[in-house]
Amino acid sequence: MRFIDVALIIDSIPRILMGIGLTFQLLFLSLTLGTALAIILLLLRISGRWYLAAPTMVYIYIFRGTPILVQIFIIYYGLPQLEFIRESIFWPILREPFGCAIIALSLNTGAYVSEIFRGGVLGVDRGLKEAGAALGLSVTQRFIYITSPIAIRLCLPAYSNDVVSLMKSTALASTITLLDMMGIARTIVAETYAPYEIFLSVMVIYLIITWVIQRTFGWIEKRMSQHIRSEA
Amino acid sequence: MSDSGHTNIIELENVDKFFGVFQALKNVSLSVKTGERIVVCGPSGSGKSTLIRCINRLEEHSSGKIVVNGHELTSAVKNIDAVRREVGMVFQSFNLFPHLTIIKNLMLAPTLVRKASKSEARDTAMKYLERVKIPEQADKYPSQLSGGQQQRVAIARALCMNPKVMLFDEPTSALDPEMISEVLDVMTDLARDGMTMIVVTHEMGFARSVADKVVFMDYGEIVEMNPPEEFFDNPQHERTKLFLSQILAH
Amino acid sequence: MGAISGWWDDFFWGSLVVVEIFFVALILTVLFGLIGAGAKLSKSRVANAIASGYTIVFRGTPEILVLLLFYFGSAVALTAIAQVFDPEVKFVDFPPFWAGSLAIALIIGSYATETFRGAFLGVEPGQIEAARALGISNLQTFIYVRVPAMWRLALPPFGNHMLSLIKDTALIAIIGLEETLFVAEQATATTGKPFTMFILVGAIYLGFSTIITLSVMALEKYANRHLAVGR
Repeated sequence: MRFIDVALIIDSIPRILMGIGLTFQLLFLSLTLGTALAIILLLLRISGRWYLAAPTMVYIYIFRGTPILVQIFIIYYGLPQLEFIRESIFWPILREPFGCAIIALSLNTGAYVSEIFRGGVLGVDRGLKEAGAALGLSVTQRFIYITSPIAIRLCLPAYSNDVVSLMKSTALASTITLLDMMGIARTIVAETYAPYEIFLSVMVIYLIITWVIQRTFGWIEKRMSQHIRSEA
Repeated sequence: MSDSGHTNIIELENVDKFFGVFQALKNVSLSVKTGERIVVCGPSGSGKSTLIRCINRLEEHSSGKIVVNGHELTSAVKNIDAVRREVGMVFQSFNLFPHLTIIKNLMLAPTLVRKASKSEARDTAMKYLERVKIPEQADKYPSQLSGGQQQRVAIARALCMNPKVMLFDEPTSALDPEMISEVLDVMTDLARDGMTMIVVTHEMGFARSVADKVVFMDYGEIVEMNPPEEFFDNPQHERTKLFLSQILAH
Repeated sequence: MGAISGWWDDFFWGSLVVVEIFFVALILTVLFGLIGAGAKLSKSRVANAIASGYTIVFRGTPEILVLLLFYFGSAVALTAIAQVFDPEVKFVDFPPFWAGSLAIALIIGSYATETFRGAFLGVEPGQIEAARALGISNLQTFIYVRVPAMWRLALPPFGNHMLSLIKDTALIAIIGLEETLFVAEQATATTGKPFTMFILVGAIYLGFSTIITLSVMALEKYANRHLAVGR
């Protein structure tokens, strides 16, 4: 039987970590763009106008109802089939696996996060909004100064889960030739045929990242909840 | 009946109960004869609920001896099961099974525990539903009934097991005022028919008219125990007098 | 559209594979979830620790990594075992169907563990007490009172787990399972129409998601029919 090849692990970890830059780029870029998109989608969704809300709901439905891998494939492998894509100004981005991965991840995470935000907004006590109205604040002012801060704090647990999900999804970029940590790991396994050593090592790295994300959000939540202290 | 030779159907001797460091029951001794109606009253935290919950082992007493219908309550599961079959309990928050219809609520224990057939269980159930005066609600769900109706169902559910003793843990405390009397009426009927019962309640009118003995508990101890006339008209202890003045003040 | 003709059959069979995986993985997921929840709710510290380890690992690791680890890992293990018996053996394959179902079930099972655990904790203690006061045994209380209350609480979040389950099926194409995405890749190679094929795959999965969502909604209605307040 084989023994654990420790030397291989020691050799491979630095190689795997070379991909961490790409992993983080995918994560942070998609998170930023996705969150921005989510805000837009949220505003459309709660606008009260059916012609804005309905397409938004369809968009969210599609992106949450299909596998993200399929979405990645459609954008990277599928779009080049269409002539107008090849001739558009976006072609340089859409031609590259990195650009496609970012777009797919952003579009996907935007759909999920907008629903999370919507949950947060709905969770804000009606009484607080009414108090704002009674004080003379406009709809927009109420949204910015009253609803949003509370909603954000309510969303944090679900949002942090989504960040973890997004981080895990970045590994799918390896299926379209990108050499993030997962991509490098697969390459090494193909060379050495040592799946346990390599995959378990990269798993540990991913778990550490997950832990960091969760701790960070735990800290943010604590900071944001400081005003809520239970009276003894 | 199996309790010939036991005049006391329930016997508590020097019972202590601790929740961590907090002592809920201090050296409690109580005897209940068959057919007796006991009302237990006292301020919150006095241990009255803990007392009756120890009788059917929903709480485990820390020391002392509890004997119910000839069975001593220990950790022996067989004893506990035997006791629970003969002792019925009605809770402050009714605790009906929400996913079952009223009649199914009543039929569950007899079919599972006494191995009654479905039709036997159904007949018993309908009999007791009529006894608590709501037979027409049999196929409804608990959420569709008022609080008073739900509590009456809870009483019927306990009765379907044909218990020898009925324990009531503040049965009307969670009810809107206008529904209290319908439940007390059922309990009074039950008492009149000779059911042995221990009732934890603040309803002093009920205590006066139904109880054989009224027990006052405070800080985990039985302070005073007397028939209702003496209890209400001639309380012995300062604490009893204080409690009565507070509770009868409205 | 004409490109798809000739491939309908294959997509159909691929969809069937998706359905098969779904049901196999679903059963395993419920199993792992119940075992995990039981372990987390038990008094044994060892069980707690193992279950916590399980949920942490499988919720924090990319699904594709779990899948590849399982697939290649079991192939390697099987090969090693086989080589003990017959040194000539070069490579023993592990069917992607089972590697995939198991991997997905373990992943979603870790989420289900938390869901089931929360649902068990959400059962009103008063009902359990009432059952015990009536003399109903622990096992009977579990079956007739605890479980009916618990699955109703677990249903909404579990519906989401089922959606994740069916979407993760697409990942198994990576290890060669011939479900719809895999078929689409083959079709693309021949027809040169990747967009059409992959959109079709998306549509198929969207269809499955919709079926699941509607089924869960119907099930929720049934589960809560006792709550219809009316007098």
